[in-house]
Amino acid sequence: MVHLLGIRHHGPGSARSVLAALAEIGPDLVLLEGPPEADELLPLAALPGMEPPVALLLYRPDVPQRGVFYPFAEFSPEWQALRWALAADVPVRFMDLPQRHQLVDAPAQAEENGEAPSADEDDVLERGEDPLDLVARAAGASDGEAWWEQTFERRHAGLEVFAAVQELMTAVRLELARPLSRREARREAWMRQTIREAQRGGAQRIAVVCGAWHVPALAQMPTAKSDAETLKGLPKAAVTAAWIPWTYDRLTAASGYGAGVHSPGYYGHLWDPAARGEVALRWMARIAQLLRAEDLESSTASVVEAVRLAEATSALRGQPVPGLAEFREAARAIFCFGGDAPMQLIRERLEVGAVLGRIPDEAPQVPLQRDLQREQKRLRLPPEALERTLELDLRKPNDLERSQLLHRLGLLGIGWGKVLHSRGKGTFRETWRLRWQPEFEIQLVEAAPLGHTVAEASAGAVLRAATEASALADLTGLVERVLLAELPAAVEPLLQRLASLAALTGEVTHLLAALPPLVQVLRYGNVRQTDSELLGPVVTGLVARSCVGLVPACAQLNDESAAEMRGHLDAAHAALVTLADDALLADWRAALQRLGDSAGLHGLLAGRCARLLLDDGTRSVEETSLRLSRELSRAAAPAQAAAWIEGFVSGGVLLLIHRDELWGMLDVWLSGLSAEHFTEILPLLRRTFGAFSAAERRQLGDRARRGSTSPAAALSASVENDVDLERARLVLPLLRTLLGPPVAADSP
Amino acid sequence: MSQNPAPVLRAHAEQQYAAELAALAACDDRPRPPQWKLSPWAVTTYLLGGEANGVPIVPKYIGQRRVIEIAVATLATDRALLLLGVPGTAKSWVSEHLAAAISGDSTLLVQGTAGTAEESLRYGWNYALLLAKGPSPEAIVPGPIMRAMREGRLARVEELTRIPSDVQDALITVLSEKTLPVPELGIEVQAVRGFNVIATANDRDKGVNDLSSALKRRFNTVVLPLPDSLDEEVEIVRMRVESLGRALEIPAQPPALEEVRRLVTVFRELRAGVTSDGKTKVKSPTGSLSTAEAISVINHGLTLAAHFGDGTLRAADLAGGLVGAVVKDPVQDRVVWQEYLETVVKERDGWKDLYRACRE
Repeated sequence: MVHLLGIRHHGPGSARSVLAALAEIGPDLVLLEGPPEADELLPLAALPGMEPPVALLLYRPDVPQRGVFYPFAEFSPEWQALRWALAADVPVRFMDLPQRHQLVDAPAQAEENGEAPSADEDDVLERGEDPLDLVARAAGASDGEAWWEQTFERRHAGLEVFAAVQELMTAVRLELARPLSRREARREAWMRQTIREAQRGGAQRIAVVCGAWHVPALAQMPTAKSDAETLKGLPKAAVTAAWIPWTYDRLTAASGYGAGVHSPGYYGHLWDPAARGEVALRWMARIAQLLRAEDLESSTASVVEAVRLAEATSALRGQPVPGLAEFREAARAIFCFGGDAPMQLIRERLEVGAVLGRIPDEAPQVPLQRDLQREQKRLRLPPEALERTLELDLRKPNDLERSQLLHRLGLLGIGWGKVLHSRGKGTFRETWRLRWQPEFEIQLVEAAPLGHTVAEASAGAVLRAATEASALADLTGLVERVLLAELPAAVEPLLQRLASLAALTGEVTHLLAALPPLVQVLRYGNVRQTDSELLGPVVTGLVARSCVGLVPACAQLNDESAAEMRGHLDAAHAALVTLADDALLADWRAALQRLGDSAGLHGLLAGRCARLLLDDGTRSVEETSLRLSRELSRAAAPAQAAAWIEGFVSGGVLLLIHRDELWGMLDVWLSGLSAEHFTEILPLLRRTFGAFSAAERRQLGDRARRGSTSPAAALSASVENDVDLERARLVLPLLRTLLGPPVAADSP
Repeated sequence: MSQNPAPVLRAHAEQQYAAELAALAACDDRPRPPQWKLSPWAVTTYLLGGEANGVPIVPKYIGQRRVIEIAVATLATDRALLLLGVPGTAKSWVSEHLAAAISGDSTLLVQGTAGTAEESLRYGWNYALLLAKGPSPEAIVPGPIMRAMREGRLARVEELTRIPSDVQDALITVLSEKTLPVPELGIEVQAVRGFNVIATANDRDKGVNDLSSALKRRFNTVVLPLPDSLDEEVEIVRMRVESLGRALEIPAQPPALEEVRRLVTVFRELRAGVTSDGKTKVKSPTGSLSTAEAISVINHGLTLAAHFGDGTLRAADLAGGLVGAVVKDPVQDRVVWQEYLETVVKERDGWKDLYRACRE
């Protein structure tokens, strides 16, 4: 006798009905819809360390990206049936078409979206309208899930429910008359063959727990021969199964899980034995506690009112007990004062819930997890919950590999270690702050489709980020991290992407901003033994493009943009000087010269160009002073001249102090200004010179005093002579007391 | 006195829809809370539309069903109801119809203003009587709330947030103890079953006084949203204009749906700050551009069409009211409106007439 228990995946009502039915049937074999490859993992479900939500992961060891997840929550009917069978010592097996036949022939589509398709994606939704929606519409309800919920999930009953489900689904499938996809036909043929085999094996009372959609196909057995025909010539691949911890969040349909439910946290609450019989009361009390923990107002009186309102609303809607919709509306009206923000909180923390499952240590794991554990052991870098600091000397191979591992995990979004910058000690030293957090496991699982070793997965993550990046700056940062993480596989595509983005971008500022980090990598690449050969052409390309675009990019800038551009010029110049590549420097200098000569250039930039070229030794002092005098000549607008000076002298005044000809020119210009011009440019000059340190300003002052041509010098000299020596002498005894015993006895 | 008194300008809800209420009451066999004229189900039907004994029930509220269900369920559980929303989202309209359907009387109304005194929420005195006979129960002039408590009906407080905060708090005792003490006489008025309060409030407008949390806790809050879709809003405007037109006896034809749709589109786009195709950003004016204002613009246009035009609503009839509704601030809003005209209206196919009319 075969009992078909048609369920909805992750329906707590279905789970209850299944338990009741199993007790009634007393089966000697339980068959579950799921992959037979995981059969030997089933006993692990009874281990005490196993805490749902968990998932079975089936993947191909050769291409781990090709994998599927079978999630189970505490309230999933399959999970309950499994636990029941293990406790009652009844044999339990999976009966779906093995994934070794499925993971081969789903070529392009699974890879295209880069995500592991969920196993029961098309159980009910075989492309097209949800058949339950059709039934619901016939029954006068709007939504299939809500209708199923009201009709089956909230009803607590045994076998008769399943008879009704079977009848309903038979009618639906007959009515739809939708042709089965090849995959689905094979799955159902396999399920039937498994049942036949079990019957041949002597099982008397078989309980089959499967999605409601499949029940009619299993109730009417065609000939074994035709099923064998369907299953002939299935392709094959090696497949591995593993238990992994899962989260409620990833059980939601919103996370991309096809058979997902909308509110796993709420279903968990419905399943919770403590809440039995007082679902509304406990749910509202949990909301109140959550809001209170977030410092939002929620009183016990509000709980009472919310329960009453939810019950009144459900009565108004003609429902025997309030459901999630009623709870939501009551909470909104009473706890949230009609607002949306607290509702969002309730949705995240309660309706979805932040529950993370746990796997016993005995259970096999995802390849990525295993690889990480191997690496941790090999590099003697065990995960620790306590925060600690790690000093790495990158010249030692072991330390270098540790650093690379941490950088790779960082690229996967696993922030186990954070770099504390210790720049003073040079680039061969790195300081990390390490702290392992349990959430990293789930990030590992999430990263699992990207690759089965840490290196592979992080390279995959980089490639994904590179494809998504739209700004040059996003990529340059990434290049640095990739080189630190030593991911040769990712470097080339990344640099190609960088080069193509650089070709596309019209923004010279972006190009210039991209230069310094890349140059830094190129310059210090040797310390880390990174292969920086690939980077050279990219930097060359960047410099070439910047040089070409520099003049037009700097034309017609306002004060603000000019200041920004000056920062970029300085940084790029410094980077190129550090790099000391003669060919590149020559190009760059030529570009700076062209820029300095271009008409209509903002004074700030023109001055800066002159300064950079002078410091660089490209342009002689004589030529520079010629330019200075030209810029400061009377025909030039004083504001433009002042901006020029700002660009020229900022970042170091020694030049002015030690170069008499420059000083003299500046002096002549300044003293030649008319009163109103002087007033006009005074703020600008003050800004320029105010930025210098006090010492520099004092030196400037001294220089101004020394200047023999300056009338100020004469003035200061007369001040010096004006000192009243008699009165000055009066303070000397006190000074002596303050300074201690006289060292020099030659008091005047 | 004449046999037929002059028809009133605006009938109360329970007068205008007396036939519907009677039909609903006749076929309503569900349990009714104490003193309710209709069962909660019938009240919901009255507001959302339907049919009773062959009498069609016009929908009074077009929008999310859950809003009305929560409101009715709140009143059925003896909790006070606070309808919250930006101007023109039919708060007062819903409150009036709820009171009409539940108590058969929507007139026990306190209009909240900055000058509303505590007497309006509680009771006043007949000073002649007070001076002649001293304090006595006869000398009390009961306010709407006191009357509602005595008779077990619904009282309405409009624009609760415009009432000064200290006066608002006079409601706390009424809502939590369901009693209104008269300390001068040492007596109190206890609410009869069926008493409840519907308040409407606007939390985003200028010049409002926030509710104290003590008062807020005593209400169930229901936020009335702006209409979800263009079609829904067009439907609201059309229905309201037709019923208002009947009441005001405007002889024009019913409004062309096309004009209503254009007007509502303009309002929605300016409100959302983006055109309906999502392609162009527009600035939003300072006014709220509610559905209620759209209704009044159409009405204004219909009147113009009827009295000065050929009776058919055209772009030119709408233009005046439209500009007036959008440009509330003569400086900022004018710029917003001009920009919108030039960048959106001018370019749109078939909107040339509206553009010309608005330019004039």
